[in-house]
Amino acid sequence: MIDQFFYTEKGNFMQTLHPAASLTYIAVLLVLVLAFSHPLYLIGLMLSVVLAIWAAEGLKAWEGYMKLALGMAVLIMIINPLASSTGNTVLWLTPDLPGLGVLAITVESIFYGALMGLRLLIIVSIFCLYNQIIHPDRLLNLWPRFFRKSALVVSLATRLFPVMTASLHRIKEVQQLRGVDFQAGTLRQRWGKYLYMFNILLISSLEDSLEMAEAMQARAFGSGPRLRYRRDYFRPRDMLCLISCLLAAGIALYALFDGLGTYSFYSGWGDMPGGSSNLPIMAAILGGLSLPALLSWGAQHCHYLESRI
Amino acid sequence: MVKGFFTVRSWFFIIGSAGLLAFAAWLADVMVQPNWGMLSLAIITAILLFLYLSFEEGRVSAREIAVIAVLGALAAAGRVPLAAVPSVQPTTFLVIISGYIFGARAGFMVGSTAALASNLFLGQGPWTIWQMFAWGLAGFSAGLFRYILPNGGWRSMAAFQFGWGYIFGWIMNLWTWLAFIAPLTWQSLLATCAASFWFDSLHAAGNLIIYLLIGRGVAKALERAKRKLEFSYLQVENIAE
Amino acid sequence: MPLFRVENLSYFYPDSKKPALQGINLEIGEGEFLLVTGGSGSGKSSLARAVAGLIPDFYGGKIGGRLYFKEQDIRFIDRRSLAQNIGIVFQDPEKQLVMTGVETEIAFGMENIALSQPEMLRRSAEVMSFFDLTDLKQEFTANLSGGQKQKVALASILAMQPSVLILDEPTSQLDPLAAEEILNLVKRLNEEMNITIILIEQRLERCFHLADRVAVMENGRIIKCATPEETAVWEVKNGYPFLPPVAAFFSHIEAQDIPLTIKTGRKLLHNIYRESNPYQVPAPASEQSDLNAKPRKADNKGDHSIRDCTRRKTDFTLFTIKEKYQLLFSKCRSRAGKISPETPVAQINKLWYTYPNGKEALRDIDFSITAGEFVAILGDNGSGKTTLLKQLAGLIGPGRGQITIMNNAIGNTPPQQLARLVGYLSQNPNDYLFHDTVEEELKFTQANLGQIDNGHIERLLRRLNLYPLSQVNPRDLSSGERQRVALGSVLAASPRLLLLDEPTRGLDQRMKADLNNLLQDLLQTGVAIILVTHDIEFANQGARRLVMLFDGRIACDGPRNEVLGSSMFYVPQIRRMFKGIDDEIFTLREAVARVRPLWAARLIAK
Repeated sequence: MIDQFFYTEKGNFMQTLHPAASLTYIAVLLVLVLAFSHPLYLIGLMLSVVLAIWAAEGLKAWEGYMKLALGMAVLIMIINPLASSTGNTVLWLTPDLPGLGVLAITVESIFYGALMGLRLLIIVSIFCLYNQIIHPDRLLNLWPRFFRKSALVVSLATRLFPVMTASLHRIKEVQQLRGVDFQAGTLRQRWGKYLYMFNILLISSLEDSLEMAEAMQARAFGSGPRLRYRRDYFRPRDMLCLISCLLAAGIALYALFDGLGTYSFYSGWGDMPGGSSNLPIMAAILGGLSLPALLSWGAQHCHYLESRI
Repeated sequence: MVKGFFTVRSWFFIIGSAGLLAFAAWLADVMVQPNWGMLSLAIITAILLFLYLSFEEGRVSAREIAVIAVLGALAAAGRVPLAAVPSVQPTTFLVIISGYIFGARAGFMVGSTAALASNLFLGQGPWTIWQMFAWGLAGFSAGLFRYILPNGGWRSMAAFQFGWGYIFGWIMNLWTWLAFIAPLTWQSLLATCAASFWFDSLHAAGNLIIYLLIGRGVAKALERAKRKLEFSYLQVENIAE
Repeated sequence: MPLFRVENLSYFYPDSKKPALQGINLEIGEGEFLLVTGGSGSGKSSLARAVAGLIPDFYGGKIGGRLYFKEQDIRFIDRRSLAQNIGIVFQDPEKQLVMTGVETEIAFGMENIALSQPEMLRRSAEVMSFFDLTDLKQEFTANLSGGQKQKVALASILAMQPSVLILDEPTSQLDPLAAEEILNLVKRLNEEMNITIILIEQRLERCFHLADRVAVMENGRIIKCATPEETAVWEVKNGYPFLPPVAAFFSHIEAQDIPLTIKTGRKLLHNIYRESNPYQVPAPASEQSDLNAKPRKADNKGDHSIRDCTRRKTDFTLFTIKEKYQLLFSKCRSRAGKISPETPVAQINKLWYTYPNGKEALRDIDFSITAGEFVAILGDNGSGKTTLLKQLAGLIGPGRGQITIMNNAIGNTPPQQLARLVGYLSQNPNDYLFHDTVEEELKFTQANLGQIDNGHIERLLRRLNLYPLSQVNPRDLSSGERQRVALGSVLAASPRLLLLDEPTRGLDQRMKADLNNLLQDLLQTGVAIILVTHDIEFANQGARRLVMLFDGRIACDGPRNEVLGSSMFYVPQIRRMFKGIDDEIFTLREAVARVRPLWAARLIAK
């Protein structure tokens, strides 16, 4: 039975951010991790994401996420060298494989694979951060005016999800006591027993849906234009985070336009575009992206700062 | 399904999503190599928004909303394994059959809602949007499937269910391939799909078995619910259209 | 000018040939509290929906007659202002909430009528403090308790500030405490805010006295609509059971002014007992009223006290009353005689259980039940009732201690074998129904357990009055019939121990009586029954022995009269009214039998 959101309310600074600010933050992080391919930039991004997760008290959940993502990262690290035979530094030539020919494993392709694995880990970390700081309810509340019916569908389905898992559990017990042995029988029979339960739940829930619709109708749903009830606060901290994120994004765009931040892997080993001019730009971007975590730390240790922002 | 598409709002939206795509394309072009990871994400987002908008623009009654939400929640619950019970995941099956009975638009809503709602409990990740897309498309295509093959019979439906096991896997692989693999050759695509072949085959076989075991019963229950939707004389347009 | 005027209203649901409402004429004044009662399928809910404007708007179907709200035909009022003026709360809180958070749920109705942002804020703040929901405002609605959910549903309606509030059995799915809270809120809304209330209810103990008028419905018609006192007298005269025990009692003895509450009832009773001739008061009663029940409990234990009780009760019948009651008690004596001290059907020794989340749900439980025994387990939410039931059913293994069912230790017995011995009826009969016909549904259990049908199913169908329905899809049946099918599918395995979890939810008085008769028959065949319930009146009717659970422990276990005699809260209304006046009396029947001659004597004396 699942009756808790993945999100847990901890009441920390990161969770008090206005969803518009935190969503912008997440979106900027996502765009940048996909845009940058330069190893230094990616490592820097990873650091600032982990810093934010730390500020959101989510390091424990992050470990779980990393375990989950590691398998996929390894897969990417294996497929990349196999798929690409370009690169100057050949480490090993495979024997003639049927249909594929001779594959060359190069240092560049291994390096690229490792970096893509890192990119995946960062993306997963960003979503971990998302799960730590954005309450589902507040997200649904932010759903644009255009999508009010879909927002209602998602909201109702979300509310029903724990009800459904609990019902499945209950029906399982009832079936068990009517002599259904879920362990016995052929695979087909065992599946059938589970699916019968699912069918019972389906029929009952479809019956209930009429009453839900009636309750919505009785509260004037669909009687004309509808307004949204807003209850999120926009504090100075949200403005600060928003500005710093957008600044970071702007600088990053400029850098990308200038050819910084990307890395051409197969053109030669060790050729870093931009060289040392990367450093100040990188520092600016990462500084902007780390501001929420820094503010959080500051607010925790300085009451005056907390009350001002 | 196409009705109500030419309002100011939808034009505004279409221009907006075109802008989003153009931005993504420009961004991709700026880079040394085209950034397919980002571009594909933008395209998927635009398609999702477009399909959501088509749901918003149509007239939808409270009854339809309730039925879609219930099916979405059920499909989502199908993802959660139950203790002491063999793990069967009827999510894809239910999404497809909902789309088949209630139409493309409802099918899309059931599928994408199932993905979004279940991940609120199981944890969101980069997979969320791709699952929303894949399951949404499964439901949507099932609606079209009935439109194209109204008298397909159970065999074609069984094949459809089976096929979606693989298609779902491929869609989920697509992003891994586009964002993390270079170069983008058919060999590397094949390698990515080969890695998930067993998993996808299990999914496909699962869909087929579930359909053969309870497909008829579920379809009957859904038809019954659909009839009830049409009871009220003040009925709004049928969502199966 | 009445607020509502209903003229000759008739209505058919789209798929039905039987009218749900026929020829309804009714006027409802502003600020009135109207209670509508009647059996299941009598049209109460349809009337509520018609008055709320949901029939025929939402349901379709055929409609005749007129319904005016503030002198305006309700069908021409636009939906938004209708919803703004008339709020309706439904039976099942689970099916009314649509949003994920309490605060957004409360705002849902206001959003739909497009109130301005400051107005929404003001109103939601108001209703949240009125309903004491402020602490819950961030809570996920799916995790609220039933009572809290119903409160949120009510708050969401009231945020739209309706002038009329319709409640369709708002407490039928709630436990008594939560029900009480909802009804108190409704009363305040009526008295303090002058909101017109139309309450549909069949659990009348807590609301009958609140109403200005009570309407009784049958077959889609209003057959009586008058003050509670008048209706009570009329119902008793015409044999309708839709009365709370206190009113029913005084109507039965034909008092002139019917007291509706325990307080006023006790006043009258005191007078009756004081004025009546002391020689007519049977000795045991006066003796007992002086004694506290507790010291007696120490003397008598177990079987002895059961027999003792019954004996005294039979003495008492011989002393006093009419033949039909004698018949009743003699039946009960013969049953008591059947209880054999053989090996118990189920035995629990020093059972402890802790849930994986660390909650200790059962502590040191010792309990046993013999064939033909009917035990009711009482206790508030979270007292461990359901956990105990699940333990007995073998759904969760015991933590420490031992449970044996017919000498099979749970934990070592395969679930299949256990399922042959233990039947379990859950709260939701829908969990049982998935076959195409009633008969298949019953056969499913038997087939699973590898039992052979020797006409058992047919007998069962007949006994449950389902025989004519045996080829019908169970999903086409009414809620009462569904419950009988579910019970049938449990009884199909001929269990020796029957576990019932809140079986009376949503049942009307007649169905409850039917269920009780059925259970009594089962007892005579040697089945042991354990009932978990909040419905004290029902437990009181059927069970011989009561167990009270508190915080995972057995707080009290003994014969019904002893437990109820010493209890203060878990007491049926009649017993509460008679407490200290006549401690022999626990049920309506006993009360009527005892007091009627006293009342008659009093009248003669006057």
